[in-house]
Amino acid sequence: MAWNRVAVVGAALIKFGELFEQSYEQMASGAFQAALGAVDKGMDRSQIEAAFVATQRGTLWGQEGIGGNTIPSAIGISGVACTRIENACPSGSDAFRVGAMAVASGVYDVVLVIGVEKMRDKSTEEGLLSRAAAGHPIYTRGETAPVLFAPFATRHMHEFGTTREMLASVAVKNHYNGARDPYAHFRNEITIDDVLASPPVCTPLHLLDCCPQTDGAAATLLVNAERAHEFTDDPVYVAGFGVATDHPYLHEKSSFTGLFATTLAAERAYKMAGIEPAQIDCAEVHDCFTITEILDIEDLGFVEKGKGGIASLDGETSLTGRIPINTSGGLLAKGHPIGATGVAQITECWWQLRGAAEERQVAIRNGYALQHNVGGRGSGVSVVNILTTNR
Amino acid sequence: MGTPVRILSVGAAAPDLRLPVSQITAGWGRPGGRGRVALCGADEDALTLAAEAGTRAIAAAGLDAAAIDGLWWGTSTPPFADGPSHAVLAATLGLGGHSGGALLSGSAHSGMEALLAAADAVAGGAALVAVVVVSDSLLAGLGTTFEHRAGAGAAAVVLGTEGGAASLGARVTRSAPLLDRYRGAGDTATRDLYDARLFREEIFLPLLLEVSHHLAPFDVTHWSLPDPDGRLGAVLTKTLDAPAAVSASVYGALGDTGAAAALLGAVPAFDAAGTVALVAYGGGRSTGVCITVDGPIPGAAGFAATIANGRDVTYTDALRSRGQLVPAGEQIPMGVPPESAMFVRGAEEMLELLGARCVECGVVNTPPSIHPACIGCGADKFEQVSLARRGTVHTFVINQTMPAPFVAPLPIAVIDLEDGARVMLQVIGRGDGLAIGSDVELVLRRYAYERAVPVYGFKARPLSTDIGSAEE
Repeated sequence: MAWNRVAVVGAALIKFGELFEQSYEQMASGAFQAALGAVDKGMDRSQIEAAFVATQRGTLWGQEGIGGNTIPSAIGISGVACTRIENACPSGSDAFRVGAMAVASGVYDVVLVIGVEKMRDKSTEEGLLSRAAAGHPIYTRGETAPVLFAPFATRHMHEFGTTREMLASVAVKNHYNGARDPYAHFRNEITIDDVLASPPVCTPLHLLDCCPQTDGAAATLLVNAERAHEFTDDPVYVAGFGVATDHPYLHEKSSFTGLFATTLAAERAYKMAGIEPAQIDCAEVHDCFTITEILDIEDLGFVEKGKGGIASLDGETSLTGRIPINTSGGLLAKGHPIGATGVAQITECWWQLRGAAEERQVAIRNGYALQHNVGGRGSGVSVVNILTTNR
Repeated sequence: MGTPVRILSVGAAAPDLRLPVSQITAGWGRPGGRGRVALCGADEDALTLAAEAGTRAIAAAGLDAAAIDGLWWGTSTPPFADGPSHAVLAATLGLGGHSGGALLSGSAHSGMEALLAAADAVAGGAALVAVVVVSDSLLAGLGTTFEHRAGAGAAAVVLGTEGGAASLGARVTRSAPLLDRYRGAGDTATRDLYDARLFREEIFLPLLLEVSHHLAPFDVTHWSLPDPDGRLGAVLTKTLDAPAAVSASVYGALGDTGAAAALLGAVPAFDAAGTVALVAYGGGRSTGVCITVDGPIPGAAGFAATIANGRDVTYTDALRSRGQLVPAGEQIPMGVPPESAMFVRGAEEMLELLGARCVECGVVNTPPSIHPACIGCGADKFEQVSLARRGTVHTFVINQTMPAPFVAPLPIAVIDLEDGARVMLQVIGRGDGLAIGSDVELVLRRYAYERAVPVYGFKARPLSTDIGSAEE
């Protein structure tokens, strides 16, 4: 039986993009207001008892003193219990999990989970590439974000015959979906040739194999399942979740054809939800790079190990495929404002399960959607949340 | 004379890059230019060259580094004007914290000073086994005549009291307080000769001829002679009525290797019996010494291949490598400064490539200081090991998008080492031909240079592809 002690009664995001004209606080407020407005029977901000904020960078991105108290003041709920959650790329999904546990504990009945990230207040060089000089002076020197995933691509191609075209098909699909998502950073459709011809970033990944740097915010409202009816007649429940860690250095990985943290987190989530992977109707997974989505769909149990590339090229993960993946456009097209990403993925799952995904709506047969992130030093942490309409 | 001083082995190293002289002349808008000089890449310097030559000599002697009593290093381009140059080299050679010896610097004559100081230490009983390393990476002032000659290279010998295949013999030294090629205390590059004819007639030839003539009676079969401008070496040889200097081939391959020149120039003659006269010059001093070679010195074979490998680059590449063409704007600083506690904790493990082998399950954890618990089984008892220096590529990437001070393309590989350990390190070169399964060896390189501190660590060098074959 699924956990189902917590219900999601509101979820929203602001349009993602290079939002130079919006401050961190303004983005947060936009997402918060939209989430409140998305509650079917309405919710007043005074009903919120606690907040969990997911922001991965904060002070390093030109924001002074981002902490648990920045957001409540900015969005009009100063005084509320608030904690900033940071767990690398899964910050948003982990804030959601922590928020859900806070509600399930019985201490708080109504909780806000909000993810906010300002990545474009710094240049690409200073904000993103500076990572190359962080960490260990020898063992991680030169390790920009693509270096965490590109060696998996090299190995996956070597062991399973995965090709650059298969990687490219992931980007093509996600851009197709993003073109149908009004909140996406990139809404242009692209072709496989576009991806192959884009400039090399970190062999074998090229520019269009990589997600952009994006500003954005997303928010969800969680309530005790017993009180969900006060806010909506169509609640979506948290069926289960899982978190797992792995060693932080690439030279410590036991395999370069799968992400162990994802596999373990997924196992825990499926067990808590009491379901098998085949029961998932659609999933928002971590596609920071095309190869990552290929690894994810194998690690999450949707596709046999090694077949992720073929499955993508064959359309199994498209809007009309066997297992629709990243209907929102994913990180590749929708964008990846780190702290907001997980919460935005939850929002997409919420819309899909409630039949509100418009042009991107997929067939919901079983009433389950999965949300996944993986990241951190050496891709060493993963969070999986499973939502359901079944109770 | 005290105890005889025997040469047990020799090692040599040359940098990765070669700069055709025609590139230099074209850089200044002139035609012509013959030959090429060796050039240190952005991650090489006199210390990395010294480390490679020293490691090879120690291995050729079949010795454990712990058996070596001291390191004598001669270079005119140490990484610090005042700093732990010797301590860093001693650590990376595995000499441990007890090693004696000295850093001799101040001119191109320093190489010979290091050789003789070590020999005297052995002869006098202060050291049973000594390693001598001579290295330089000369930086000539832009547009000076020395740009066509300034090169880089290193040689090393292990000295002992018995065994070996050669011995040091007669020596002679002369000194005159006159200017040759020089670099002032605050200068980064060598200044030009004021008057080339004056230098040749009144400074160089008189001193060198006197020293060389004193060695001539010792049945010299091979000469290693200084040749700072590409002509003086031949003049000396002719005046001595000697066969072509064996050092000419080394100058031809590498250019002027400064403090390394005398010893490096003699190595081609170390593979057969004979008497080699080494003559060094620099800083107004010249010293000559005879080496009697009984038979091939271990480590001498393969020398020609060592100095032949090198990738041709353009003048602009050279300016960037030498730090003379630097992008304006901010560079990304290191996350943790090289003067910090992290580097105190990590110095030994980075310079000696240490790992911690779990006593329970055998997994090697690298680096030790951040692994209090084994990644394999969680146990906390380890044996410190120096990792193997050979392995194969398990997977890799080539990073094409890098901010200053990084240089793209930057290959990075996960490497399975021969001893079962695994590491992830940068790979030397551009990644051409790099593949899963490529054989690599690990060598010391300079990973960063920040706040005037060079940060050294190991990089992988592909063995299966010949990096130097194709002209770019």
